Amino acid sequence: MRNRIIYSLIVIFFLFVFVILYKGLSNSNLYTPKANIKSIPEFSSEIFLKKNTVNSSDIFNKKNYYLLNIWASWCLPCRDEHPLLINLSKNQKIEIIGLNYKDNLNNANKFINELGNPYSTILLDRDGTKAIEWGAFGVPESFLIYDNKIVKRYIGPLNLKLIDEIKNYIK
Amino acid sequence: MLYSFIGYYSLIFGLFISLPIFFFSIKNFKTDAVLDPKIITFSFIQLFLVIISFLGLVFSFVYSDFSNETVFNNSHTTKPLFYKISGTWGNHEGSLLLWLVVLTLFIFLFLIKSKGLLKKYRILTLLFQQIIIIGFFIFLIKSSNPFNYIFPIPNEGLGLNPILQDPALAIHPPILYLGYVGSSIIFSSVLAATTLDYITKEWAIHIKSWILISWVFLTLGILLGSIWAYYELGWGGFWFWDPVENVSLMPWLALTTLLHSIIILEKKSILSSWVIILSIATFTLSMCGTFLVRSGILNSVHTFANDPERGLFILIFLFILIFISLFIFFIYHKTDNKVSNSFFLLSKETSILVNNWFMMYFLSVILIGTVYPIFLEVISSQKISVGPPFYHKLIIPFLIPFLIFMAIGPQLKWIKGGLEGKLNLLIFFIISLLISFFIVKNFKDNFLINTILIGSAFYLFSITIRDFLLKKLKNIHQNVAHFGFSLLILSILLNNIFSSELITNLKVGERFKNDKFEIVFNDLKKFEQKNYVSFKGNFLIIHNQKKDELKPELRVYNQPNIVTSEADIKTNLFSDKFITMNTVKNEEYFNIRYQVKPFMIWIWVSVLLISLGGILSLNKKKYEK
Amino acid sequence: MYGRKVKLRFFFIVAIILSVILSVFLVLKSLEENVVYFKSPSDIKSLGKFGNEKIRIGGMVKQDSIKIKSNQVNFIITDLKSEINVTYSGVVPNLFSEGKGVVAEGYLKDKIFFEATKILAKHDENYMPPEVKAALENK
Repeated sequence: MRNRIIYSLIVIFFLFVFVILYKGLSNSNLYTPKANIKSIPEFSSEIFLKKNTVNSSDIFNKKNYYLLNIWASWCLPCRDEHPLLINLSKNQKIEIIGLNYKDNLNNANKFINELGNPYSTILLDRDGTKAIEWGAFGVPESFLIYDNKIVKRYIGPLNLKLIDEIKNYIK
Repeated sequence: MLYSFIGYYSLIFGLFISLPIFFFSIKNFKTDAVLDPKIITFSFIQLFLVIISFLGLVFSFVYSDFSNETVFNNSHTTKPLFYKISGTWGNHEGSLLLWLVVLTLFIFLFLIKSKGLLKKYRILTLLFQQIIIIGFFIFLIKSSNPFNYIFPIPNEGLGLNPILQDPALAIHPPILYLGYVGSSIIFSSVLAATTLDYITKEWAIHIKSWILISWVFLTLGILLGSIWAYYELGWGGFWFWDPVENVSLMPWLALTTLLHSIIILEKKSILSSWVIILSIATFTLSMCGTFLVRSGILNSVHTFANDPERGLFILIFLFILIFISLFIFFIYHKTDNKVSNSFFLLSKETSILVNNWFMMYFLSVILIGTVYPIFLEVISSQKISVGPPFYHKLIIPFLIPFLIFMAIGPQLKWIKGGLEGKLNLLIFFIISLLISFFIVKNFKDNFLINTILIGSAFYLFSITIRDFLLKKLKNIHQNVAHFGFSLLILSILLNNIFSSELITNLKVGERFKNDKFEIVFNDLKKFEQKNYVSFKGNFLIIHNQKKDELKPELRVYNQPNIVTSEADIKTNLFSDKFITMNTVKNEEYFNIRYQVKPFMIWIWVSVLLISLGGILSLNKKKYEK
Repeated sequence: MYGRKVKLRFFFIVAIILSVILSVFLVLKSLEENVVYFKSPSDIKSLGKFGNEKIRIGGMVKQDSIKIKSNQVNFIITDLKSEINVTYSGVVPNLFSEGKGVVAEGYLKDKIFFEATKILAKHDENYMPPEVKAALENK
């Protein structure tokens, strides 16, 4: 009899520990990129070379395809994919939004002046937190967006084949 | 691509091999026949598949196959080959796969090595181990698959965290896991033995070598972790009472206690419940450690970004194991009633038992310090952390009787009998106290406790040396380990008391002087390396008319873009001279820290001696047979 | 009279109970003394009074706020709502930089001034201490 009480006390104790640890887990802990965001995150951001800030809802508001391209002037692959983006920007069915990632503004400006500007808007992400909200792995990375949903993400630089794929989507 | 493919499918097949193992084991369990060789064959196939899967991952890393998500997240083409390979287990998925390799390896070795023992016991151990193995298989495949495929294939990986690119840390996880996972065999075996009421002398002798093996690996694993912290982190310390460090120390304490209790069980067939509880506790604490580290539930300076969802699986699995073992313990375990009639105050087993209780006390202090913040946050949403003073205050005073018991215990006889040469021991103690008095004399803070503490450590030190001279090879393993422990405590204490440091910010060409040292920042050179750019500072330190030149380094890694500082350390027998530099915001000022740490090398040596004790004891078993 | 065995046993149990009580008492007492509370800059702003105990402050290092001098480093910790000035002389961890999470341990001088004795290092760029994350999210 006495043993049984002790046993159940021990079991209750461990159950208690379990509950506490379980609750502790749900007190989520880390600031890591979410890998699979289906709808786009809400954020507000400064616009490149302008003083004003915009909300994400004001940018992606049309029933239209968008391509969010995360880039930086220090990123060499961005330079490679840039002509493709310029090419794509001529397509009327898609709007390309740039997200300038952890960059020096002067360098970014030079980059745009030198290679052309495919972006309808360039958002600023000085500390890299917005890219984290998007769940981005790094630069360059692009998100194809329709109706506030991420249709497809492209990790790494875009190439001709992928551009064709995007064109296929927006047809 | 190919390697990930092979790796993934051998993992799946490996899981399915558990089915025939279960089938044949249960069939074989009921019959009287000898152990079915098919069981061993299937265990071998499972081991083989898991190793293939692991090699698949290793090769994906070696060939930088970025279609594999794990490789993409943790590797980079410019990384040296050595770190590509060590990157395999430097991340969550890979390290779990390594767990699985060791789990299957150990159960296979167990089956081979336990030939003379009861057949039912061997099968039951295998079954319990299979439960753990299946749990890990499912965990790997479901929530941390190391072979996830990314499309489109990135051209370049994200790189291994540079702070992990260090030789000590490259081999630290495998060694530590051998210790952790070794305890899984003890766990399965003790459950099997309890169920069959097989906790006997024979069992104790056999399980002791497994305990020793995991103990040696765990000791070395902790040592490597400390060495890494000392050389790579540049904080000048080797132990920070950080939760992540604590979780490796807790199983070590439980295992050490178990190691001592199993000796009593072997010699006197008592304390069986105690042995069972300790065996269960050791493995549970290892798993608990994995849970706390992997789930990110703790706020630790060593935590790496990770996914809390994985924690849930480990948590549930951990508690399933706890409840299974509690259930088995309550239902099957019969207390040995012959126990208490032969316990005498002055005997070897009493002194071992007393020190067992001390170790349990240390264990609980560490456990409470580690999990208390989690509990408090859940209950009252207060966020706190428990710092080193807590541990120091609660552990250090109790080290004194602990050390004295460690010195006297081995002098006592089993069962009953007086203490030989009492006078001799007393004289030794007084001499030790006197010596420590002279060492600490000029030191003001905590004078009394330091004197007594160093005195007791020195006491153990001298007694073990005396025993070594008198008894030569008799009990050499125990003597070496205890000697190592006394050396460890001595060097830590002296290191703490006599270390001195200087922290300042300097520009190139500047000098700084305080009452002890003068430090001159001579120049800074830049070198290009394969995957980082290195800045080497050149410092001149003048201390007591002696000049030392030290060259700490700053490494700016290309991928991921992280700065690490490499300390420059000049080691000799008596002290380490340790310097680190750091940039702040790329300005011209460098953050400099210079430390003189006495007896550092002896801390490492003493831990090596402790594990040497374990190795000697293992071998003693062999030639005695 | 009880037998020697029973007496010994009784003695043992009493000793164990006493030592358990003693150690529980010791542990609780030193937990109380050595616990370091974690606060965000906003918590401190709303603090009525503050004692002399050691605390930890977490948040982000404000952009362009790090100033380094020969004997100390000054910077501002922000949770995007309130800010606090920190002075620190000691070793700065590698991953300490503007816009990154930081945890500083030390003593409050007044409501906007904090003297840090330690800055906690992290090994991983993506890692944000849970407290800091909570502090930033509650903005």
